[in-house]
Parts: sequence; C-alpha cells; structure tokens
Amino acid sequence: MNQTINAVEISGLNKSYGKFQVLRDIDLSVRANERVVICGPSGSGKSTLIRCINQLETHDSGTVRVNGNVLGKGTPRMHALRRDIGMVFQHFNLFPHLTVLQNCTLALRRARAMTHEQANEVARHYLARVRIPEQQDKYPGQLSGGQQQRVAIARALCMNPKVMLFDEPTSALDPEMIKEVLDVMTDLARDGMTMLCVTHEMAFARTVADRVIFMDAGSIVEQAPPETFFSAPSHPRARQFLSQLL
Amino acid sequence: MKFSLDFALSVVPVILSGLFTTLWITVAACVGASVLGFTFEILRRSNRWLGYVMRFLIDVIRSTPVLVQLYFLYFVMPFYGVTLSAVMAGVLGLSVYYSGYLAEVFKGGIDSIDTGQFEAGKALGLTRMDVVLRIVAPQMLRNVVAPMGNYFVSALKATPYLAVIAVPEMLGIALEVGANSFRYAEPMIAVGIIFLILAVGINQLVRLLEKKMLASSAR
Repeated sequence: MNQTINAVEISGLNKSYGKFQVLRDIDLSVRANERVVICGPSGSGKSTLIRCINQLETHDSGTVRVNGNVLGKGTPRMHALRRDIGMVFQHFNLFPHLTVLQNCTLALRRARAMTHEQANEVARHYLARVRIPEQQDKYPGQLSGGQQQRVAIARALCMNPKVMLFDEPTSALDPEMIKEVLDVMTDLARDGMTMLCVTHEMAFARTVADRVIFMDAGSIVEQAPPETFFSAPSHPRARQFLSQLL
Repeated sequence: MKFSLDFALSVVPVILSGLFTTLWITVAACVGASVLGFTFEILRRSNRWLGYVMRFLIDVIRSTPVLVQLYFLYFVMPFYGVTLSAVMAGVLGLSVYYSGYLAEVFKGGIDSIDTGQFEAGKALGLTRMDVVLRIVAPQMLRNVVAPMGNYFVSALKATPYLAVIAVPEMLGIALEVGANSFRYAEPMIAVGIIFLILAVGINQLVRLLEKKMLASSAR
C-alpha cells in the first residue's frame, strides 16, 4: 500500500439540490488510518458530504478521490469501487428478509465471489468482533436497535473496506443502546481503521478522533484536533454550537 | 329441451380433456407475465428516457383489449414473417396482456420498499442486478402476493379467449360439444363450474401464501 495516497481527497466540491446549495467548495483530505469526526447543525451538509464519498450522492463540481480513484457521475464500475468503502447508516438498513449471517455474507458471495463456507467464516469473525455471534440465525426484526446497528457494522467490515463511513450511527438509538455501538466503533478506531464519522456524540469525538470537522451551511468552517476544538473553538458558529450541546 | 344431468355428467370428461391445456397455458402465462412485468418495471426505473418508453409501452398494453392483442399476434404477425402456433400466440398474448397490469402491481410493491434498502445494497458494492434480484425482488414479493394472485385468477379466466384462435382449451371444447349436440346448457354449465373450482383453488393458495409471508415478515 502506498502510504502517500490519502484515503479520501476532496477538492472544490459543490452540490446543490435545485436552488439550494448543500455543499460549498469543500476541501478535505483524510489520511489512511485517520479518524475524522464531522459535526455541525442539521442541514449543514454533513451527511451529504460523506454520501458523496461513496457516491450515494453525486456532486455537481469538484473532485472526489477515494483510495486513489476519482469518483463521479460516469465512473465506470462504480459498484466495484464501493466495495472498499464501508458505510453504516442512521437507520441500519439491514435486509429484513435475510438472517443476520446472510446479511453479512450476501456481498461476500455476490461481490467477492466467496463460497458459502468462506463467507460464513468471514461473517462469523466480524459478528464476534461486534460481540453478537450468538444472533447469527435471527432476523433483523428480532434484534434491538443497538444489536441491529452492530450487525450493520459487521456487514460493512466483512468487505474489508479501506475506509469506513458512519452516517449518524447512534442517532436512531435509545440512549441505553448508544454505548454498545460506540464501544464497537471505538475498538475499530483503536485497530487503525480509517473512519469518517458524522455524529453528535462529542465524548466519542473527544476520545477517538484525530480531527474534528465543524460544518455550517455547506462549508467546513473549522477543523482542529479534538482538544483544541472543544477547549478553544475559534469560529463563533462552532462556539455557539458547542455551548448548546452542553 | 330440458336440462339433462346425465348429459352434463357425460360431457365433463370431454371438457376435462382440455383441463391440462388450460392449466399449463395459465401457468406459463402467469410466469411469462410476471417476468415481463418485472422487467418492464425495472427498466422503467432505470433511466429517464427508457422510463418514458416503458411507461408508454405499459399503458399501451393495458389500454388495448386482450382480443386485439391475440388477433394481432396470431393473424397480423404472420404478414411480417412471424408465424406462431395458436398455443404459442395464446401464451404470449396473455403474458403480454397481464405483464402490463403486473408491472403496475410491482411498481407499488417496489415503491413501498424503504430507499435505505437500495442504498445499503449499493454501498456494499453489489451490482444493480444483484440489488434488484437479491434485495428488491424478495421484499417486493411480500408486498404483492395478494394483487398478483388476483391477476393470476384473472389470467385463468382469460384462457377461454384463446378459443377464438382455436387453442384446444376447455371453453373451445365445450363449444364444440355444444355445436355437435345442439345442446349448450350442459357444456356451458359444466365448464363454468370447472373454472369456478379452479379459481377458488388458486384464491385459497394465494391466501395461504399470504399468511405465510405475513408470518415471515413479522419476524
């Protein structure tokens, strides 16, 4: 692996929905093994930004480069490039008609061309890692929200992605289930996974992030290591945001 | 001329000789219509221009009488070098006719799937084909068993249309019995009852399937 290639390299990114500009001139690079937390008020473009990284949203102008590949509207074999970019959604988006194990193995079998046995082995490994191996034969509907989100994390990890995107992974969870998901994510961060995480969990940002990015009205208005960001935010909008969280 | 029960019973085996034809044409037409309808609906969603074309095609199919479509396939196509046997034309005609309706049913079934499901499949790096077949289709089927069943029964009841292109299905045979004996009451009542029994059977099967699907989606 060439260490000089950034995991994510975004420059001059713009995106609008009709007349409303969601992203304005975003520049962002994320090194391999870096943990970045993106925060900001709702509607500031955080989710849209990370959804541009795996092209669930297409951008209007600027460049998005992930793992050295330029991504955009006409990128050939986009589906193959997405295999190296894991994503965890706010609402889990597990496949309700498949068991936990099948949720994890579907892409391994179809996209990584593994046999059932190989795929099951990989899936069991990651289900153990998110501490949920005993639930493998249940259906998502039979699990709690926290368990479902951990399965969703395992499902993404099975593909052995080079980057993991988290889009408000704990926002749809009951308070008592947030910790179990954050613990799994913290473990993942310790193991050196490259992570971009949109979250409002500031304690998580403080312990895990190498860098906190604050967005407002479609722009990155401040980025700093968590110590600096939380103790002395320089932008007034960031100060206001943090004061409301406390 | 009085209704004769003996004659009615005697024509039942004759009419039942067309049962197999009626059944296999129904099954083939249902399978064909489902595959075609699903393909139409997926293509309609795939991109904007193809979407308009498919929308138009689906509307044309739904807005023309099934008899016109059958006559077209059987009597008009040969002028353009495509000659189909009566049975082939019948199966194809019913498949096309019901594909238009099933495409609409599938549209509703797919619309009710959460967009997060498509996104999760995409984000995992699955091909479009895999997302459609492995994620969308199974979830859609749960939503559409009942309306699909209705159209299957409707397709069964549409097989007598094929009598007009001389497919030896049950109504055609009943008509022949009538023409030969100058007695129409008995064969018509017999064929009506046979269709009734078949339709009720399919309905029960669909209900059973629906129950099973509901139970599995409650998991």
